Amino acid sequence: MTGFGSVLAAGLILLALAAGVDLLAGTRRPASRFVPYLLGAAGSVCLVVAGAGGVAGREVAIRSGAVLGGVAVGGHHLFSVASGLSADRLSGLFLVIAFGAAAAVSLSFASWAAGPAGPGRRGLGAGYALALGSVAVVLTAADAFTLLFGWESLTLAFWLLAGFNRGSPSRRVSALITLAFGRISGACLLAGLLLLVTRSGSLTLAGLAHVPAGPLRATACVLLLAGFAVKVGLVPFQVWLPRGYAAAPGPARAVMAGVSVNVGFYGLWRTLAVLGPPPAAVTDILLLLASATALLGIAHAAVQGSLQRVIAYSSVENTGLILAGFGVALVGAANGSRALMAVGLLAATLQVIAHTAAKSLLFAASSNVQPPGGSDDLDSLRGSVRRTPWAGTGLAIGSLTLAGLPPTAGFVSEWFLLEALMQQFRVPGLADRLVLAITGAAVALTAGFAGVTFVRLIGLVVLGRPASEQHATAADAGRAGRAGIVLLAVACLALAAVTPLEIRLIGAGLAPVLPTPAVTAALKSPWVVQPVFAGFSILSPSWLWVVMPALFVVVATLAWLASGSRLLRVRRVPAWRSATAGVSGHDSYTAFGFANPTRRVLAAVLHTRAEVSRLDHGTDSETADAVPAAPHVEYSSDVIEVTEQYLYRPLQRPFALLVRQAQRLQSGRLDAYLAYMLIALIAVLAVVTGLH
Amino acid sequence: MWVLRGLRDGILTSRWPARPDQYAAATRGPAASLARSGSAPDSGPAGEVTGLCPAGAISADQAGRVRVDQGSCISCGRCVQLRPDIFGWSSGPGSAALTRAGLVVPADESLEALAAVTDALRARTRALRRSVHLRHVDAGSDGSEEWEIMALLNPVYDIHRLGMFFTASPRHADVLLVTGAGANGMADPLRETYEAMPHPKVVIAVGTDAVSGGILSPSYATSRGVGHIVPVDVWLPGSPPSPFAILSAILLALGRLPASAGSHNLTSTGTAGGPR
Amino acid sequence: MTAATDHELAASVAELWDRVTAHVAAGGRLADLFGTARDGGLLITAQLADRDGITTLDAMLPAGQASYPSLTPLVGSAFWYEREIHDMFGVVPQGHPRLEPLVLPASGPPLPRPGSDGGPARIDPDPRALPRHAIGPGLFTIPHGPVRSGVTESIEYLVETPGEDIPHLNMRLFYKHRGIEVRYTGMQAADGVLLAERTEGIASVAHAIAFCQAVELIADSEVPWRAALIRTLHAELERLACHLDVIVRLADGAGLAVATARFGWHKERVLRLTGQLSGSRFGRGVVTPGGVTSAPRLEPAGILTAAGDLERQVSADVRLLMGTASFLDRLRRTGPLPPARAAQHGALGPIGRASGGVDDARQSRPYAAYGSLGTTVSSRDDGDALARLEVRVDEIASSFHLIRQAADELDEAGPGPLRADSAAIGGAGTDGRALSWAEAPQGEVLYDVRIESGRITRCRSRSASFHNLVLMHEVFAGDILTDFPFIEASFGLSVAGAAG
Repeated sequence: MTGFGSVLAAGLILLALAAGVDLLAGTRRPASRFVPYLLGAAGSVCLVVAGAGGVAGREVAIRSGAVLGGVAVGGHHLFSVASGLSADRLSGLFLVIAFGAAAAVSLSFASWAAGPAGPGRRGLGAGYALALGSVAVVLTAADAFTLLFGWESLTLAFWLLAGFNRGSPSRRVSALITLAFGRISGACLLAGLLLLVTRSGSLTLAGLAHVPAGPLRATACVLLLAGFAVKVGLVPFQVWLPRGYAAAPGPARAVMAGVSVNVGFYGLWRTLAVLGPPPAAVTDILLLLASATALLGIAHAAVQGSLQRVIAYSSVENTGLILAGFGVALVGAANGSRALMAVGLLAATLQVIAHTAAKSLLFAASSNVQPPGGSDDLDSLRGSVRRTPWAGTGLAIGSLTLAGLPPTAGFVSEWFLLEALMQQFRVPGLADRLVLAITGAAVALTAGFAGVTFVRLIGLVVLGRPASEQHATAADAGRAGRAGIVLLAVACLALAAVTPLEIRLIGAGLAPVLPTPAVTAALKSPWVVQPVFAGFSILSPSWLWVVMPALFVVVATLAWLASGSRLLRVRRVPAWRSATAGVSGHDSYTAFGFANPTRRVLAAVLHTRAEVSRLDHGTDSETADAVPAAPHVEYSSDVIEVTEQYLYRPLQRPFALLVRQAQRLQSGRLDAYLAYMLIALIAVLAVVTGLH
Repeated sequence: MWVLRGLRDGILTSRWPARPDQYAAATRGPAASLARSGSAPDSGPAGEVTGLCPAGAISADQAGRVRVDQGSCISCGRCVQLRPDIFGWSSGPGSAALTRAGLVVPADESLEALAAVTDALRARTRALRRSVHLRHVDAGSDGSEEWEIMALLNPVYDIHRLGMFFTASPRHADVLLVTGAGANGMADPLRETYEAMPHPKVVIAVGTDAVSGGILSPSYATSRGVGHIVPVDVWLPGSPPSPFAILSAILLALGRLPASAGSHNLTSTGTAGGPR
Repeated sequence: MTAATDHELAASVAELWDRVTAHVAAGGRLADLFGTARDGGLLITAQLADRDGITTLDAMLPAGQASYPSLTPLVGSAFWYEREIHDMFGVVPQGHPRLEPLVLPASGPPLPRPGSDGGPARIDPDPRALPRHAIGPGLFTIPHGPVRSGVTESIEYLVETPGEDIPHLNMRLFYKHRGIEVRYTGMQAADGVLLAERTEGIASVAHAIAFCQAVELIADSEVPWRAALIRTLHAELERLACHLDVIVRLADGAGLAVATARFGWHKERVLRLTGQLSGSRFGRGVVTPGGVTSAPRLEPAGILTAAGDLERQVSADVRLLMGTASFLDRLRRTGPLPPARAAQHGALGPIGRASGGVDDARQSRPYAAYGSLGTTVSSRDDGDALARLEVRVDEIASSFHLIRQAADELDEAGPGPLRADSAAIGGAGTDGRALSWAEAPQGEVLYDVRIESGRITRCRSRSASFHNLVLMHEVFAGDILTDFPFIEASFGLSVAGAAG
């Protein structure tokens, strides 16, 4: 084991220790509540260091020869965990991204767990450590078995996290759906990897590249892409994301949505590195699905009434954006254009980084904004910056980043993404060009609606007028939590300023996929970036960070000079409400009302149904109600999730039928089970002898 | 199509006050006493004259001089019709005054007092001279003053050419135009609107109802004009005042009317029938 | 033919309600419902209108009786009338669906009821604030007013909305209440016309005509033919101005800048013509009990020329406007008032005629010179904002026609008296009670005037705006916030007349 390898091992051991502390010590003692998460934070830092070493090209490996043995049958190493864990540059990059966020999230988790909203029983820390550990294993897996092992344990961790709150039945259903989709993705990965392993004869990931081109390689590629796509939530597999994320407690959501989702993206990047681009049709389908995902995600995020769901649907939207960039890279790879591949991957990876930072920040902050046991309805969380200033500010910065406003990191990544999509004119094929154009339009539309969505968050939830019934119990983040929020917020903002360094890092990290100079061609000059292709367009986020504050200072100075030192004299007055005599109920826009125009405009995507029904039974509104002031009319409005309604619900019946048939196998009789095993064994032997 | 239609009839906009306008000069203002200072026509018993006005605008002092309080004149025309030797219509748009007492013609105010008020108002509105935002509040009018104020936006008067604009929010407004007799229901909203306006601000009471309550007062539902609710800077009589009169009141508030020494009321002897 | 001086006295309020209900069931409409303080009690008067004319029925609520069974559950159009009676006199209609202050403020110290003299003195106002009538997720109320954007009259609309749609709308009228009806008491009959002109300032002439006709009926005097023609002339000029104002507001709401400017110019020309003829841009000081005060200051030939020029340009612009598809799209199916509902309520004026009604006081119950000049009534069935605009467009054309006819008749009639013998009217000997009407641009206005020894003891003026404004509650089916200005403009009502 090399130096960095020992750092890697140290990180994993710390995570295991965290799980142990949580399981053994439980939550009874106040100290034991946050210790697992601090240990997790330390472990994350170690993993970041290991990842940095990996990106820098150092050898980071844990050879299992030192830890476990292997099994050899014939000349083949089955279950050859001899490869162990190793981090090459790509793994190192994702280690840095994921565990950088994980460190900050762990701090926030620690302070949340120690606070009044913390978990009441043991198990959450273990689930959290299991999740982080599985992420580390998947990212550093060098062979198929380890990858699958890590994947399955991640699914298990997700199920534990989503199902932790035993309270409401909807949480149980959400956990089950999370588990089901996790298994589906695992099954796709298993199928794909098995196909490749049988043909390549080796379990190592590097060895899988040697499978000759053909339908088998293409099928395996598609299966692998599908498996990873389920994990990140591509349409039509996105239905588990909002449920699973919203069901998890507190900052566990940040672990799921901010840190762990990166394994999916890592898998996609690794598939591209190992197997190259899939068939052209698959690329086009992927691009179209990515644009549908982005649109569907943001459409739902714009109209949800619950804070956690808004943020969760925004994850779906970002998946669409990232996969759009990835699709551009696939198109470039298929056409042999390295520059196009570089700009696509660069855009996607930048968006991954920005999304990781922002999503972790949003979920970490939202766990403090929401009072323990209280609802997360947007209308009841208004004005949160006054009650929980740190969490509210974190929410605001995360929203700005995901809305893509300068000078945040989200702006840079969306700029790159749109620039990448604009290169469609360089692509020779008409189908590709058309699909890229459609995707570009969808991404632009998404960016617009993202503005609407996050304006609602910032305007109403962070800055709004607090509701009359005050939730005094919402506790702001403690010291560790504040540190976590500050780290993530600084990341959201500062990453934009140091974009050239980021690009260099990404260039180094993408080495297994395409040569570093191809990516660093995006650096036009030390502080100016371009979308890899020269002469198209430039941006300098670093200079933005200089110029925007400078402009602000100039304007403020001019205002101060022109106002003759009256600038800071403030007269506090109530807002102008047309001198009304007052109304009962809400008198300004509610969160629902703010989203209503979006509901109507996007009625095609959301299938909005609005209804006004009279509660009385007369045609004459003046005479019908016997009781004065009884309500006359009831207004109701509904949106539906199109994939759920039109894809999954029709499948429910045949699926249930299938399950009932399959249940016949579970007869509970021992002789039946033995018979099944015998049949299976005979079949395997027949196949194996037949193949040889 | 509309563009061509709009070009068809040429320029309809009046050039007033830069150039004289015939309609403006012929605008009929409130009734006025024809007495010049110094001469006192034979008015007969005082009660006979003061009883002519249903709004109580006519008064006679001990010297027998008849005076008309234009701020209470509802332009019913009874006095002009019955005693054309004493009363006539004032013409021209300049019937606004900076003090309530200044509306009683022939005016009695000393020139120094008037100059002081004028200078104070001018100093306050120095920043508003070339660009001003107007906010209108209806405090119980009968609807006709709103028509005359809205007429300022039609192409004939077009106040945009003078740098004046109507604004929806009182927070952006400089001048408050108040119409109506000061209905009790609007007292609080009017006060709130006034408080919501930033300094410097000017209040113009538009119309006889706003100046004195007109024929509606005394009443349980109105105060005698809006002067009891907000501090008024410019008093504009008329029932309702014509758009040129409103425009001249705004210009007076901004100090853009050529300051003529003495009364701002342009009184002329008209014939009994009055000009158009 | 301006109406009766006779009125019946029913035995009790219950009998009065029976008569009213039967009348409405037979196809008539409730035209007015008001109270008069009498001997410490309350005299309730109902005006019932049908094709032939208007009948007046009274019933006495004796002193000490502070409540009576409400009419609203039986006849829905009494909704606001009973609330106004409650505000002014303090008597409680039992069973009224929503008894909140209408014309008096809801908050503040309880006022002595203004209309009563010795009647039930103090009834505390309903302590509830105006409650919401729509329930549902995310609903909130936008308080629109009383100080609204633009130059408008003060009224507050409480728009209950989930963000775009308008499931329900409430109104608060009390801001502009000026207490005009109480102000009449004790005035000379000749001065009453000044107050009538200022009730609804944009319909001054119609109100003045109705009031003066009532006084003339009481004094039993006949208006000379020339005076009738001059009254008609000014009434039609006023109608032109009001309808052009509605078109200006609609075009402004749709953002048609040139149309707004041109119709604003036409309205200004109409006002200038009125000023040229009478000295007042709103036709005030023309109509007086007995006739008119003076002849128009333009010869009939001059009137014909001016009106002819105006008509040519206005019709051309109207034709272009009614061909602008984007404008008509904003109005089509906006603010629909179903014909059945309009008939049930007895909607007046262009609003009623756009929803299938055919009643126009100029034709059904002619007054001034309308009987001889003849009026065409335009009517539509759709009941939306476009229908109301079309009805007004037709009325503009017929107004020009009437103006030309009146000018021709004036020319033919030659010089003559302008007033009946003025000494008799409004003098100390005048005594009696009469009801009269006129068709204002907003609809029919009713004046029920009681004079004793030449002084007004009670004058009830019911403007069409008061009767029609309550329909605003019901015309927002399927419309969104941006349709609101169109619906309000297409109603074309005057808040001053509604708030009293």
